[in-house]
Amino acid sequence: MDRSPASREDIMAVARVAGLDLEGKYLDELIEAYRTIEPMLLRIRQGRPRADEPAHTFDPRKFLPRD
Amino acid sequence: MSSVGESSSISDFSIKELGTLFAAKKLSPVEVLDTYLARISEIDPKLHAFITVTEDVAKAAARSSEARHLKGAGLGPFDGIPFALKDNIETRGVRSTSHSKLLIDNVPSEDAHVASKLSGAGGVLLGKTATFEFALGGPSWDLPFPPALNPWNLKHLPGGSSSGSGSAVAARLVPAAIGTDTGGSVRWPAAVCGIAGLKPTYGRISRRGVHPNTFSLDHCGTMTRTVADCAIMLGAVAGYDPRDPGSIEVDVPDYAGALSGSIKGLRLGLVRHWYGETAAPEVVAAVDAAIGKLKELGASVEEIELAPLGDYIDAKTTISLSELYAIHEKDLKVRPGDFGKLLRTRVIAGGLIRAEDYVQAMRWRTELATQMLGEFRRFDLLATAGWLRPAEPADPAAPDFFKQRQIITMPFSLAGIPALSVLCGFSSGGLPLALQIAGRPFDEATVLRAGDAYQRATDWHTRKPPVA
Repeated sequence: MDRSPASREDIMAVARVAGLDLEGKYLDELIEAYRTIEPMLLRIRQGRPRADEPAHTFDPRKFLPRD
Repeated sequence: MSSVGESSSISDFSIKELGTLFAAKKLSPVEVLDTYLARISEIDPKLHAFITVTEDVAKAAARSSEARHLKGAGLGPFDGIPFALKDNIETRGVRSTSHSKLLIDNVPSEDAHVASKLSGAGGVLLGKTATFEFALGGPSWDLPFPPALNPWNLKHLPGGSSSGSGSAVAARLVPAAIGTDTGGSVRWPAAVCGIAGLKPTYGRISRRGVHPNTFSLDHCGTMTRTVADCAIMLGAVAGYDPRDPGSIEVDVPDYAGALSGSIKGLRLGLVRHWYGETAAPEVVAAVDAAIGKLKELGASVEEIELAPLGDYIDAKTTISLSELYAIHEKDLKVRPGDFGKLLRTRVIAGGLIRAEDYVQAMRWRTELATQMLGEFRRFDLLATAGWLRPAEPADPAAPDFFKQRQIITMPFSLAGIPALSVLCGFSSGGLPLALQIAGRPFDEATVLRAGDAYQRATDWHTRKPPVA
C-alpha cells in the first residue's frame, strides 16, 4: 500500500476528477484540508475480513408510501 | 393565578417545579414566559445565544397553556414550559438558518418532528439558538450571526455545535433546549456550560426536519439544568417516527419515574485511559472525584480499556466528511464563498475521500461499537470525562482545535448509545467541568438514574453563572 503523502499535483488531479475545479484561495484551502485528513485516511486503509459488514443497514419498510 | 417570588427565583425553578406550580395554579405560564423574555432582553445581547426570539408565538402558546391549567386540563409535565430549539431544527413559519448565510431566508412550512412533539406536549417555543454553521466544527467568526459566548465567562466559548442552547440554558434564559449531536454537539456544550445534556440512543428521537450533518450519526438531544429535567424533556420528545428512516420503534418508558435516587449495585466501567493522561489536570481530578462519589452511593467501579480515542475519531471523521460533502457538494462547488471558512475548509476535503474509505470506516465503526457493547455483559454503565478541557477562550485567531483530535464524546456517538454529560466541578478559573455516563442502547433510564443520583448527592448544579 502506498503510504507516501500526496503531492499538490496529485491532490489537484483527484480534485479535477471529483469535479472540484477550484482556483486561487479555494484550491489552497483544499490542499491544506486534504493534507490534514490524509494521515487519517492512510490509517483507515487497512485490511479487514471479507465478511465484515459496515454499520449501514437498510430496512425497505421505512420507505413504503405513507398515504 | 397568583404570583410566586421574584423574577430571579422564577428563572431558578426547574421544569419539575414549574410543572407542579402550574398544576396547583400558583404560577402562570404567561408569568414565567414574561420573566424569560425580560431576561433574554437584558442578558442575551452579551451572550448571543439566540438567533431568533419567537415572542409572539410564545405568548400565544403560554396563554393557551394557562387556560388549560386553569381548567385543570394540563397536558402533562411539559405543559407551559418555555423551550428553545437549535437553529438547524425546522420550525413552521419561523426562520431556521443553521447559522448559515445559505439559509438566511429559510422559513419552513412544516415543524420538525421534535418541535411538533414539544408543542404538542404544551411547550412554549421561546426561540431558535445559535449553532456552528450546519452544526459542524466552529465557532466561525465570518457568519451572519456572532458565535454564542459562555455565561460563566464571556471571554470563553460555550462549546458546540449546540452552543446557543448550552449557553441559554446555563444563563437561565430558558429552562430547556433541544440540541443536535453527531460527534458530541449536545454533550460538549453541556459540559463546558455546566448543564445536563443527553444524547439518547440513535433512533430514539426523530431527526425529521433537522438539517443533516451526518445521517449515520445524527441525534437530537435534551439540554436542561438538571438531569431530572432532562428525563422530563426526553419523555416529551422520544418515540418512533415512521418518516425518519433512522427512527427505531421501541416503547418509551417513564424516564422521570425511573429516577429512584439509588444506584446501589450498579456496575460501572471506567474508561480512564481516554482522559487520564491527556485531559487538563483539573478535569482529571474532578472526574475522579465524581467517580468516587458514585462509589460512595453504592456503584461498583472497575477500570477498563477500550480502543484508543483516536480510532473512534478516525472512523467518525471519515464517515462525517464523506456524508457532509455529499450534502453540501453543490453549494461548495457553486458558491464556496457563502460558507464560513471553517466549514468550507473542513468539508471540502470530503470530496476527495474514496468510496472504499467510507465503507472501511463504516466497517470499523461496526468493530469499535461491537467491542464497546461487549462490555455491557459485565457493566451497566460506562463512564469517562465529559470534555478534556474547560471552555476554550473566545479567540478568532485561535488554531482549529479539532485538529488536536481530542474529542472524548465521539466514541459513544459512533456506538450510538445513550450518553449524558453531568456537571462535576469547576476549574480554578470558575469554568465548569463534567463527567460523561453512557449506557446500553435504549437504556436512557439507567443513565439518567445515575446522573440524577449524583446530582442529589452534590450541589454543583445549583451554582449560577455570573451573567445570570
